[in-house]
Amino acid sequence: MTHEFELPDVGEGVAEGEIVNWLVETGDPVEEDQPVVEVETDKAVVEVPSPVDGTVAERRAKAGEIVPVGDVIIVFDTDGDGKATETETETEAESEAEAEPASTTDVEAEATDRVFAAPSARRLARERGVDISAVEGSDPSGRITAEDVRAHAEETRAEASDGVESAVQPADESEGDTFTPASEGADRDRTLAVPATRKLADEEGVDIDAVPTDSEHDGEPFVTAEQIEAYTERQQAAQAADTRALQTGEREERVPYKGIRRTIGQQMERSKFTAPHVTHHDEVDVTELVETRDDLKQVAKERGVSLTYMPFVMKAVVAALKDHPYLNASLDESTEEIVLKNYYNVGIAVATDAGLMVPVIDDVNRKGLLQLSSEMNELVTKAREREIAREEMQGGTFTITNFGAVGGEYATPIINHPESAILGLGEIKEKPRVIDGEIVPRKVMTLSLSIDHRIIDGAVAGSFTNTVKQYLNNPALLLL
Amino acid sequence: MVVGDIATGTDVVVIGGGPAGYTAAIRAAQFDLDVTLAETNALGGTCLNHGCIPSKALVTGANTAHEAATAEELGIHADPSVDLGEMVAWKDDVVDQLTGGVEKLCKANGVNLLEGRAEFADENTVRVIHDGEGQGSESVEFQDAIIATGSRPIEIPGFAFDGDRILSSRHALALESIPESLLVVGAGYIGMELSTVFAKLGTDVTVVEMLDDVLPTYESDVSSVVKERAQQLGIDFQFGESAQDWEEMDGGITVHTETEEGEIDEYGAEKVLVAVGRTPITDTLNLDAIDLDTDDRGFIPTDDRTRTTLDHVYAVGDVAGDPMLAHKGMKEGEVAAEVIAGEPAALDYQAIPAAVFTDPEIGTVGLTETEAKEEGFEPVVGQMPMRASGRALTLEETDGFVRVVADEPSGFLLGAQVVAPEASELIGELGLAIEMGATLEDVGATIHTHPTLSEAVMEAAENATGKAIHTLNR
Repeated sequence: MTHEFELPDVGEGVAEGEIVNWLVETGDPVEEDQPVVEVETDKAVVEVPSPVDGTVAERRAKAGEIVPVGDVIIVFDTDGDGKATETETETEAESEAEAEPASTTDVEAEATDRVFAAPSARRLARERGVDISAVEGSDPSGRITAEDVRAHAEETRAEASDGVESAVQPADESEGDTFTPASEGADRDRTLAVPATRKLADEEGVDIDAVPTDSEHDGEPFVTAEQIEAYTERQQAAQAADTRALQTGEREERVPYKGIRRTIGQQMERSKFTAPHVTHHDEVDVTELVETRDDLKQVAKERGVSLTYMPFVMKAVVAALKDHPYLNASLDESTEEIVLKNYYNVGIAVATDAGLMVPVIDDVNRKGLLQLSSEMNELVTKAREREIAREEMQGGTFTITNFGAVGGEYATPIINHPESAILGLGEIKEKPRVIDGEIVPRKVMTLSLSIDHRIIDGAVAGSFTNTVKQYLNNPALLLL
Repeated sequence: MVVGDIATGTDVVVIGGGPAGYTAAIRAAQFDLDVTLAETNALGGTCLNHGCIPSKALVTGANTAHEAATAEELGIHADPSVDLGEMVAWKDDVVDQLTGGVEKLCKANGVNLLEGRAEFADENTVRVIHDGEGQGSESVEFQDAIIATGSRPIEIPGFAFDGDRILSSRHALALESIPESLLVVGAGYIGMELSTVFAKLGTDVTVVEMLDDVLPTYESDVSSVVKERAQQLGIDFQFGESAQDWEEMDGGITVHTETEEGEIDEYGAEKVLVAVGRTPITDTLNLDAIDLDTDDRGFIPTDDRTRTTLDHVYAVGDVAGDPMLAHKGMKEGEVAAEVIAGEPAALDYQAIPAAVFTDPEIGTVGLTETEAKEEGFEPVVGQMPMRASGRALTLEETDGFVRVVADEPSGFLLGAQVVAPEASELIGELGLAIEMGATLEDVGATIHTHPTLSEAVMEAAENATGKAIHTLNR
């Protein structure tokens, strides 16, 4: 018996996932719950476990392929004889009945490259530089509408990439192959030719059976000296093209703009082009904070928590947000209302190998420094290891980004849309400061606050920053 | 360039004024490009002057005569006498009207027209050689060139066209009188169309075909309908024979044929029409001057934007490859012009329809059931026989069928084969359905006018899904 396993909904509302890496080969035995494939959604990479014991009969998707949720990605043989006598289909989303049989899209994908779309949609795709075969059809039958093409173009803003990609490919294929008459080689068993022609073929190093010909003598294929020459020329041209392609490959590389990178890009673009950004810069003397943190670090360590500056900043920010509610708000464009939030969920921007992720720590106002530290550390680790769930990155009301972690004083953070503000932290550096007429070394941190100028004015931004500074300058205030 | 010859400059030079060429020229001019169109003979090319239009004019004439003569069952008794000279003169009027129209459209769109044969002098110059002694030539410097030189009928050894005894399709369409007997070499679509025309006009027609059936590119159940009707019209088929040579004899000629086994046969006829296919015209272009190669069949290879291996030279129409159909050439012409104008155009149609104006007509588009299987689909077919069509009965034309081929899991239309009266018109709807990504359900659920032949399209789609009303479901 075989068991068809559909790509499950690996996260909240995920419609599709990219097959990143197969963990099993066809013929491999698998046990229930054994991870079989890594799937990347728009936020995270998830290992998908096998639902059954059995062997892998067929993998239906290739690494790199984007697969809609509900498509069969792998077929298991559950009784080991390899014969498909019966088929059962696994549907992870049990309560949601699939309106469309999964086989519909499968067959298309396997059957042919044909894309079902009206000529107007095709033209639109060309105009927008969209590869129409990458567009998901919204029509119940899978047909691609002009609207689908527009939506896809908005998502990707992909540039048409004629030429370079295809030029690189033959270079890869030609590796290790010195001379392959791949596309036009005739590959016959027997070829007639006059002796002089055979001699020419030998001189040119050409396999006479590979030279294309339409001519026949006595029903057998017949090759002339001219055909040998033409063939040799074509081969040389092809080799020259390969060499060129190789050179191109060294000078440039094309990386698909997709997955997490694309999601980040879209989010940034939407934010930047929706909210007019203004960035307010300032600096704060955090000498006392550094001392306080040093004192508490040891206590925290004894309780198994690594205490960083971030929980202090979070507390300072939340305290400032309470005084300046418009920075803990979002603009609902559809209803033209400013939504002021009486809860404080702070997102922490984390640089990971895959790109920027923003885990969110809920209800910061209700948690102590240690709890914030441990929650944050856990989420940051999950994000770095790409094990974070989508819901752990949702629902934020304000975001802090610590660009100082990689060095640097000031930056222009982009607001995590639809929030209304984001605070960037620079590196804490020892700098000369004048205190009571004397130059003394102090610990100084820089702050860059970007605000949505539609709902927050510069004065409010400055006032908010002053409040944050006040708390960071004198961390004892956080105890009040 | 000739010494003292001052070249004129143009953005785009189009070589050949047939459907592909004039379409390209007009479209390019619509993008405000300076366009020069060079044509050796007459605007409109083979299609308007010697192909589609004249042959369809004569098909109409022959059908009218034949229907009038065979309408006794309808209570019509007539004995029409046909003056082929008059019919051809009428046909020439139609052609003149159309070629005149093309010329007007070219001029109205600002296309510079040059009469003469264009050949490449170098990568950015063509010489246009004017016809006639002492007429000279002129050079045109271009940025982009569109080659649209079309095709010509293939001659076979021993049967050089002379326009008198040995005719090409072009000659056959210009005959002044109806030949008493005609031997047609080749049972492809041109041979079958013209055989039908002359048989209906009363000519005694024999068709000699090297293969063992008519219309070898079509499915056998499609071609057999046409073959049987042709036989009813009195056309005599000799399959498996190839024409070898001919000689004058008793005021007519005798043609010798040979079978694969070497058996010799001979047929007497007043004239011979050789219709064994067409070959692209590239030998007049001096392609060596721009280092452009043709493939082993003489076609100029192009990509989906109609570009040749040279970035600034395009090829469209018959010269760019099969199928040699005017409508394919026109689409390519548009694409070439748009690509030159910087538009994001490309040839990305799913299917090119084709029509054969035999009796009954054939219209096809897209994939056959076999081709659909080969492409990895799971095809389902639905068929509606014309004998179940009310309109076909009232036309007294009940041979043939409408067949649709679709992908069963998704229902998407993939192809259609129609052999029926007006199949050439019916196929248009099915081409649209394929391009639009319509499903069997879409076509079946679309109300078609009653009583018309087009109802058969709806019925065939319903038949494929087991919902047909007027036929037994599959």
